[in-house]
Amino acid sequence: MKGKRVDKKTIEVGLNQFLSDDRNLVLGFAKEPDGVSHRIFKNELGPLSLFNPYFGINGAFFLRRMFSKGQKLLLLLRPCEIRASVELVKLTQTERESIIAVSVDCLGALSSKDASDGLPDDYKEIADILASSEKVRPACKTCKERRGIVGNAGIRVGQDGTLWAVPYDEKGVEFCGLFAGDNEELPAAMLVGEATKTEPFLSDMTEFSKDFAKCIMCMNCRDMCPVCFCIDCVFNGNDYLPKGDALLNKIFRGGTTSLPSGKELFHLIRMFHVSQTCVGCGACEEACPQGIPLTKYFKGISERLQGMFSYTSGRNVEEQIPYLTFLEDELKDAAD
Amino acid sequence: MAEEAKKDIPEIVGFACSFCSFKASEMAGSLRMKYPEGIKIVQVPCSSRVDPAFVIKALFEGADGAFVAGCHPGDCHFIKGNYYTRRKIAALKEMFKAFSMDKKIKLFWVSASEARRFVEKVEHMYKEIKEGNNEGKKG
Amino acid sequence: MKIGIFLCHCGHNIKHTVDVARVKEYFQKFLNVAVAEDYPFLCSEPGQELIRSRTEAEGLDRVIIAACAPTLHQDMFKDLVKKGGLNPFLLRRVSVREHCSWVGDDIGKNTDKAIRLIKAGVYGSSHYIPLEEKQVDVTQSAMVIGGGVSGLSAALFLSNQGMHVYLVEKEAELGGHVRKLRNVWPSGKDGSELIDEMVETLRDRENVEIFTSTRMVSFGGSFGNYEATLETPAGESTVKAGGVIVAIGFAPFDPISKPELGYGKDKRIVTTLELENGLDELGLPANPRVAVLHCVGSRDEQIGKPYCSRVCCINALRAGQTVKEKFEHSYVESFYMDVRAHPKGGEEFYEDTQEKGVLFTRGNVGEIIPTPAGVLVRGEDTLFGELLEREFDLAVLSIGMSPPKDNQYIASLLKITLDKDKFFLEAHPKLRPYDTALKGIFIAGTCSGPKDMEESINHGRASAVKLFGLLNLGYAFVEPFVAMVDPKRCSGCRACEQACVAKAIKFDDGERIVRVEEAACMGCGLCNSTCPSSAIGLKGHADSSINDEVGAILEAI
Repeated sequence: MKGKRVDKKTIEVGLNQFLSDDRNLVLGFAKEPDGVSHRIFKNELGPLSLFNPYFGINGAFFLRRMFSKGQKLLLLLRPCEIRASVELVKLTQTERESIIAVSVDCLGALSSKDASDGLPDDYKEIADILASSEKVRPACKTCKERRGIVGNAGIRVGQDGTLWAVPYDEKGVEFCGLFAGDNEELPAAMLVGEATKTEPFLSDMTEFSKDFAKCIMCMNCRDMCPVCFCIDCVFNGNDYLPKGDALLNKIFRGGTTSLPSGKELFHLIRMFHVSQTCVGCGACEEACPQGIPLTKYFKGISERLQGMFSYTSGRNVEEQIPYLTFLEDELKDAAD
Repeated sequence: MAEEAKKDIPEIVGFACSFCSFKASEMAGSLRMKYPEGIKIVQVPCSSRVDPAFVIKALFEGADGAFVAGCHPGDCHFIKGNYYTRRKIAALKEMFKAFSMDKKIKLFWVSASEARRFVEKVEHMYKEIKEGNNEGKKG
Repeated sequence: MKIGIFLCHCGHNIKHTVDVARVKEYFQKFLNVAVAEDYPFLCSEPGQELIRSRTEAEGLDRVIIAACAPTLHQDMFKDLVKKGGLNPFLLRRVSVREHCSWVGDDIGKNTDKAIRLIKAGVYGSSHYIPLEEKQVDVTQSAMVIGGGVSGLSAALFLSNQGMHVYLVEKEAELGGHVRKLRNVWPSGKDGSELIDEMVETLRDRENVEIFTSTRMVSFGGSFGNYEATLETPAGESTVKAGGVIVAIGFAPFDPISKPELGYGKDKRIVTTLELENGLDELGLPANPRVAVLHCVGSRDEQIGKPYCSRVCCINALRAGQTVKEKFEHSYVESFYMDVRAHPKGGEEFYEDTQEKGVLFTRGNVGEIIPTPAGVLVRGEDTLFGELLEREFDLAVLSIGMSPPKDNQYIASLLKITLDKDKFFLEAHPKLRPYDTALKGIFIAGTCSGPKDMEESINHGRASAVKLFGLLNLGYAFVEPFVAMVDPKRCSGCRACEQACVAKAIKFDDGERIVRVEEAACMGCGLCNSTCPSSAIGLKGHADSSINDEVGAILEAI
């Protein structure tokens, strides 16, 4: 695989050149006065933060129902954010044609519940702080794919600290064309992923009840999930979570009920809904005001369920979401 | 229903497709085959109509077990519907397995002519759940 | 909302194991229930009148009929509530008989179950919406697949009624197996004469198109407007038909698959048809000893043919008589399990055969061994429980009927179902013996199971009558259970569009939502369960309806 050696300066020059076209935009991270946050750059690149150990919101969240006004949007995001954007493309929630998705090698991030000012932006320093901190996000601790190998192109970091711009398809070539230099063979070590073999997620309802006892059903986890894209969630209606008169009706029919009711229904049904599209980014857990270990469940279940169909969410935009297709000759022992 | 009484009579909700499994259950009745009263069937046009959310809801609103029954793969009245059912319900079963509740949910293929198979399947499920409940009671 | 509940006793069938009085009492106190009645037979005339008059008098919004399975008498009950002024799609059937009273013996538990099932009907139907049956134009033409005796009978009836008929036969000649028969019991007529008479009539009719040496290669469409591509000797041809009659017949059982009977190894072991058509060529001695074996390829679990082929006993009797007629002093011994001389006159024929000197031995023949002198028949005499071993000059195998060779092919092309024996499955063995699960597709003759000629002709005609009834008006009503999109709630993710088997969902680029093409929608509800927000729903089977039914089953009574 080939790529171009780049550095922060070259990247900034290239992106500024890209932004000189009025219709072009870049979605990435910026160093703001009070910390790090997402920013859509227009016309010129501001204080870009290429690397940082910050994760508050999954950037794909901003792409939902963003349809072309003739613009081109370059994403410069973490692999989990790019993967979520790929799933949104599959679900027609944003336009494939108008997006150039570039995944940036990621070392993980700290919980966004602590202030994000003063975070390092040097790759080596980030590695050090993550190694010593106890606040590394659970999703990042268990992340199996930190490499920027998804999307149209990647910004990769070699073992010696060299930055590489690596194209994965034609759009990626276009992206790499923004930078001066020749294509070179990537060091072999960069092509190898970390061998991460984990046991399949296993829990039970006792553990679930304990973990979710604190849940206040604010549904922030749903609202901040990058792949929970419905414009009107099924839980807004009374079918699964009756409210008001419907709740009264349920109590008259079914008897006493603890409130808020339907925690299992809400979380398990949502778990099934996102089981094939969940990228395990942990945005739900960041959004939870009660500190419920949502990643453990959502990521654990989605890995199990995606594994059944050898599917990995966001890996390839051409792969169909498993529930929307089938093979005649499969799952022979599915029936009892 | 009191918690104790319920343990003795498991409640099982089945979703059966109109063209195969519901027909088989109909025929089981016509043939005067017997199966436990706890088994109650909801008719759906096709097993692919069954939203896994229905199953989850049934189980968390009091059912001791739930099953989805459709035509054998390849025989779906709606041509391919049950292949989708198979993917979704297999995934749902995998999810329940992760929560150590896989016994509570079953997927059956029962054609319109297989009344006996229908009864065997539901009876077996009923027995398994009843035994599981009784064990839970002791412990 | 005013709900009316009508509970049928079905004579003793429901009342015997369900306390109907308790059920009635329970629902009389139930919220919104205006009428809760029980009646011995709701399908009887006074029962019907009860439903109609109460629906009208009380101005009911929902009618719950708790009786037999929902497919039985459905049209009649729909008609009744319609006459009572209620939209027939606000009628709910609850199967108390097939799903409760017949499957349990404990009155207390059954009564509880009946209450829950009826409650599920009450809750579920509360989400129903009035619907109108869709009127669709139907093509007034029929395609008959298979030009055997039942296919010909069907084609004759339909064409006589003025229906355009496409008759498709894979062989070069029409007539199927009957054409090969030299001696059709009981008339003794030549089969080809009977066939020629039918074929000539058909050829004279302008509204009949006959395709011989033709194979169907594709099939699509829906009731009223099916379309098939035919591969004819003159090239490909497309025909449009409102309905289809499948009459592809049977395959004679091939006795080679029972190698112990030695068929094919010796010319002195023949089938009944071979005997019939070539007795003279067999070169039998003046006073031959002939063994006739019943049930070859029938009632035989070991080879997967547990069914009775219905025609082979008569064939076996005829074989005995044929030999006796030609050789007065012959020794003919029939080995049988029991003699099932099905059709009219069959029993008399059996007695006549016995009187003519054919011996009947109840026995299982295990093997037939060719010897220089003849054929050695070995087996067990099941009446005396002893071994039998006898030498004959000829062994005649009365072979049964196997499913037609193209059964799988036609079944997958037309999306119809095969039964456990691989014949075509009828929608109901008694109430709808000609129908398949697909509207407008009927089965006729031996492809749905062994039949004799008379039965095959009747079956063909009956299917034709049924199809004619569906197509005659030129239009038909189809159930309005199609998908519908809530445009305000659709996120336009196109998941349903990707999954839809009927390709009935189309994306609206401008609005960024999906739309349903109702004519193409099959009504399976796959889209509904695929949509995470249930923004696409199936009419008549809403999420809320199904979820509430489940709730009713599980809540306390």
